[in-house]
Amino acid sequence: MLRLAPRSLAQLARNDSAATGRAKRDRFGGRRWRVAVQWTLCAALLVGAEAVTVADDAEGVRFFETKIRPVLAEHCYGCHGAEDQESELRVDTLDGMLRGGYAGPAVMPGKPTGSLLLTAVTYQDSDLRMPPDEKLDAQQVADLRRWIEMGAPHPDSGDTPAPRPLGEIDLEQARQHWAFQRPVLPRIPALVSPGLKPIDAFVFSRLDDAEIPRPGPADRATLLRRATFDLTGLPPTPAEVTAFLADDSPQAWQRVVERLLASPAYGERWGRHWLDLARYADSNGLDENVVHAHAWRYRDYVVDALNRDKPYDQFLVEQIAGDLIGAAESSQTDSPAANRPPDDRPAYQRRNERLIATGFLVLGPKVLAEQDETKMEMDIIDEQVDTLGRSVLGLTLGCARCHTHKFDPITHRDYHALAGIFKSTRSMDSYKTVAEWHENVVESPQQTQRYEAHQQRIADVQKQLDQRIAAATEALPEEQREGKAEELEKRFSPEAREELKSLREQLKQLQDTVPERPMAMGLDEGTVEDLAIHLRGSHLTLGDVVPRGFPAVLTDPETPELPDDQSGRLQLAQWLTTGDHPLTARVMVNRLWRWHFGRGLVATVDNFGLQGEPPSHPQLLDWLAIQFVRSGWSIKSMHRMIMLSETYRASSRFDPVAASRDPDNRLLWRFPPQRLEAEAIRDAHLAVSGTLDRGIGGSLLTLKPREYVFNHTSEDRSTYDTKRRSIYVPVIRNHLYDLFQLFDYNDASVLDGDRESSTVAPQALFLMNSPWIRRVSTSLAARLEALPTPEQRIENLYLLAYGRRPAEAERQGAERFLKTFASAYAAKASAPPESDDSPASPEAAAWQALCHAVVASHEFVYLR
Amino acid sequence: MRTPTNSTASVNRRALLQQLGGGLGMLGAAAAMSSAERLEAGQAGTSAGPHFPPKAKRVIHLFMNGGPYQGDLFDPKPALEKYAGTRPPGADLLTERPTAGLLPSPFRFRRHGDSGLEVSELLPRLAQHADDLCVLNALHADNPNHGPALLQMNNGTIIPTRPSMGAWFLYGLGSENQNLPGYLVLCPGRPVRFSILWNSAFLPSKYQGTYINHSTIDPEKMLPHLRNGRWDSQTQRDQLDLLQQLNATHLSQRGNDSTLAARVEAMETAFRMQSEAHEAFDLQRETKATRQAYGEGHFANGCLLARRMVERGVRFVQVYYGNGQPWDTHSNHDKTTRKLCQDIDQPIAALLADLKQRGLLDETLVIWGGEFGRTPTSENGNGRDHNHHGFTMWMAGGGVRGGMTYGETDEFGFKAVADKMHVHDLHATVLHLLGLDHQRLTYRHAGRDFRLTDVFGRVVDEILA
Repeated sequence: MLRLAPRSLAQLARNDSAATGRAKRDRFGGRRWRVAVQWTLCAALLVGAEAVTVADDAEGVRFFETKIRPVLAEHCYGCHGAEDQESELRVDTLDGMLRGGYAGPAVMPGKPTGSLLLTAVTYQDSDLRMPPDEKLDAQQVADLRRWIEMGAPHPDSGDTPAPRPLGEIDLEQARQHWAFQRPVLPRIPALVSPGLKPIDAFVFSRLDDAEIPRPGPADRATLLRRATFDLTGLPPTPAEVTAFLADDSPQAWQRVVERLLASPAYGERWGRHWLDLARYADSNGLDENVVHAHAWRYRDYVVDALNRDKPYDQFLVEQIAGDLIGAAESSQTDSPAANRPPDDRPAYQRRNERLIATGFLVLGPKVLAEQDETKMEMDIIDEQVDTLGRSVLGLTLGCARCHTHKFDPITHRDYHALAGIFKSTRSMDSYKTVAEWHENVVESPQQTQRYEAHQQRIADVQKQLDQRIAAATEALPEEQREGKAEELEKRFSPEAREELKSLREQLKQLQDTVPERPMAMGLDEGTVEDLAIHLRGSHLTLGDVVPRGFPAVLTDPETPELPDDQSGRLQLAQWLTTGDHPLTARVMVNRLWRWHFGRGLVATVDNFGLQGEPPSHPQLLDWLAIQFVRSGWSIKSMHRMIMLSETYRASSRFDPVAASRDPDNRLLWRFPPQRLEAEAIRDAHLAVSGTLDRGIGGSLLTLKPREYVFNHTSEDRSTYDTKRRSIYVPVIRNHLYDLFQLFDYNDASVLDGDRESSTVAPQALFLMNSPWIRRVSTSLAARLEALPTPEQRIENLYLLAYGRRPAEAERQGAERFLKTFASAYAAKASAPPESDDSPASPEAAAWQALCHAVVASHEFVYLR
Repeated sequence: MRTPTNSTASVNRRALLQQLGGGLGMLGAAAAMSSAERLEAGQAGTSAGPHFPPKAKRVIHLFMNGGPYQGDLFDPKPALEKYAGTRPPGADLLTERPTAGLLPSPFRFRRHGDSGLEVSELLPRLAQHADDLCVLNALHADNPNHGPALLQMNNGTIIPTRPSMGAWFLYGLGSENQNLPGYLVLCPGRPVRFSILWNSAFLPSKYQGTYINHSTIDPEKMLPHLRNGRWDSQTQRDQLDLLQQLNATHLSQRGNDSTLAARVEAMETAFRMQSEAHEAFDLQRETKATRQAYGEGHFANGCLLARRMVERGVRFVQVYYGNGQPWDTHSNHDKTTRKLCQDIDQPIAALLADLKQRGLLDETLVIWGGEFGRTPTSENGNGRDHNHHGFTMWMAGGGVRGGMTYGETDEFGFKAVADKMHVHDLHATVLHLLGLDHQRLTYRHAGRDFRLTDVFGRVVDEILA
């Protein structure tokens, strides 16, 4: 089940209740906006189960019979008794009260604050008020409270077995789910073909079993274009195409892969993939769409990390707990498999980098104007839990906010154990509306020095000023020393006044020129505390306090407890990256596979839970996960492994026989054709037209920190008018660049490891008629014009755009088109005269038309 | 899941490929399509049609984004006078922000038409259509914040990854006009949450809404890139032929691929839109009398555009009142509401009259409402907060009973109490009017069947004609 925004919980919770066939709505289970009401899985009960100690002393029972039962009978039994059980709740039995209804257990013995019965009768929750017609009198409410405090003594206490918790999870059974078991190194299928790579052995053995022919290899030009876009998001240059086509050494392909992995464009491409998971944006979105002026540092960190092949375990630890890693722990894990250059940057840079990395958990959209500050905090924590859960673990942990997860063995308790870690973390500096997220200073020692020296100078001048005033005051006759400061100053000597004026000017000048400190969104430790279970997700109804920790289904007795004096983020990060964690490596290698092939081995890349799809090649997935860890979590090693396989180098050719047996190509009988993503289309257009600016990093934002992005009447689109690569184009939530939006860019508010690829008429209109495409085709045509002959131009056009030479028929077809088009054009002279990029001649027009058709065609926007 | 047919897309493509002069061996390749590809191609085309005979063929949704206050317009509450300034039990429901005591509406109501429906003095012209209106006074939703409430009203859930209702309509019924998008969203600016409100999510992307900013009514501004601006139509056709030939060659080298075939089709639709959409969106083609009847302003233009669209077989047109959330009157409520009502009264009345006069109202369902209503209690003295506990929407035409109210709120108009109608029930009922069973209109995704109404929804038979 997808769970994407904090407020989706109420909805999900309702799904749950309805999924079990109990969708009836009524007063007790009435809808409530803050929290889920109709949830069936009473986690709180589960939590409380061990604590159920119902007093059964005679005194207590007498109290119940005289003070409590009459009230219940008069006011409650009508709807929640033997006849009717609205919201599945009955209060005429002890079992009924302990078990509770949709909303949770009505009574938790000894715990008035956790007992919904008391919540209801105190009318403190406007959507949960019982009896509905009239509030009980104060004495009755007090008696109920007292009775619960006493431990809810009841005549049935003796013979009521602890009620069956509705949301009980059998952990042993839950751990049977494939994704919760540690990957085991599978045996590589023995196939007759010699020298087969393990990946191919896994893939081909499945094809063989299904009697589907193995795919043939893609032709070299196709392969080069595929790999170049795949690793760099850019088309191969004509020189690269020519070189590869001419290189018939056995290492030619390997050399291409290495060249591409070493390109700075690699990090720009694969960093962008990671940013989809980080729901990266340069603005907050939602109703307070203020600028994330320093988010770009996180983006640049990601690009750089990918380019350096930072080990994935380290990459994760830095993003979750970078602020907590000391210098000693920061040295790169050296691994024999990884071919990484040493990181010789100064320690402060690496320290700042780790602070920047923690921006990961702060980038989410926030309801910064939420009036209820506690709710805002819990919503932000929820977004963090959800993002971490889905990106790293492939688990929809956020679903357990209001209730035990409907599908996965994640309890309400697990959720709050994890949420406690983030509750103990500082993500926000202020919850006062408009709230402010936390930022860390990330400067060099020189910058610190400069900043501090400047502050010192301000202090010095201020001190001089104070001293001069004091001295001048001293100098006045005693009777004139009284009065307001301004009044006094008028009595000072002209020299003293002149001096003060000059000092004040100095001070102002200094204050106006305080060096700007480089900042980065990020985390810090907060006040360490365990979190109470929020019944129904509401901070107004609290249950047991849960020690911070990790989901029970994924832990064992060896899992360490969290220290009392730390949030537990570092331990969380370490636990995720132990190497034998059942999910971390699997989820990531599956993502890598998805970004190479357009589809994961587990198709639901963000969900490895029970609602996710099982892997198409479970053994391959496990094998890759284990290799990943063994390689020192080297992402580039995984690229090599995948791209050197025959499976990756396979032709994308359609095979009717294979298609009839495996219509979805789950078994990979061909390389899956893929449409380029929005960024790649844009970058490729710029690249082939020779106008791409390859500048790296930095911010293109023109707005001040925390400034509102735009008002609707004067929106400023100029920031999108850049020739830089798409990854550097500002990502403004709710106001994405049109071109991106049109071609299925991610939403930027919620993580998405599996972008859509739509085909709609407005895309076609864009490619047919937009000023963008006109500029691209004009520049491309102008670029070709430099070549002397039409043959050369056509050849170059094909090389630039399609990464291959034209077939003879294609060349002839293009020439024919140029001729026909030019003469028709000349006959009509149809160019609107006012257009400033009107072609100079019918021939020029024909070239533009040809270039335009080429960059709008299937072959340009699809990889095969 | 319904089984879509594979009619239109393949036929169109086949025709197109024939048009492109064969010789490419394409028919053979098309014949070799796998069943899955046929299915996929079919999904990219038109679906199977209604489950039972529809009452409404098209829907116009007039969206008062921000949330209008029902107590000023359709749900008079005299008790507010009596309790003015106080917060008696029941008047203290939780909404987005804290509110104070009850704030009576200064606007008067009168009974109209044969039905005697009560309509506010703010909407005198609409009141003349009282006998066509089916006023739903006990709508309720789950969340008092704009974003989630907009999502619920449009997508059936506050989860931002579900298809919008328009996408479901198209999935269920297809479009009647191949030269225009079947689902149009008109707004003079951008409603909050924007395109997520008309997305197709996991439904095939051709069902997503096409957003049109009609703050200027020049068709070329409303539909960006509609005009080539460089070539005349024939020259462009020549170029498109080249492009399609490149595509066809590519396709033939690839064996077969339904996505690419759909892209060939999208190019052709786009090309046709260039001529037809321009005409369809050109309000200058209306008579002066008609333009005058609708009046001036963005909303009037939106209503008139909506009529032109449904006339041409567009399945679903949403007209958002305006940019951002103009009905969100947290302060200066009365004054702002008066102005907003002036903007909508004449155009809606004209739209209903126009549809009726053209014989379209019977088959066109008109829906009016916001994402929620507003509180009967005051916010900061002269404002009103969001209210999802109880609010009013109305429908007209398309198989609903006119001249009636359905549902009641409490004596303050705060909370729906009788004949309540959740947004799910609204969706179930609208689908029913379109001939679709909301429980059968499902789509399998990520391992389970999804519906617009999820596992909820009741068709409110009481309001069917």
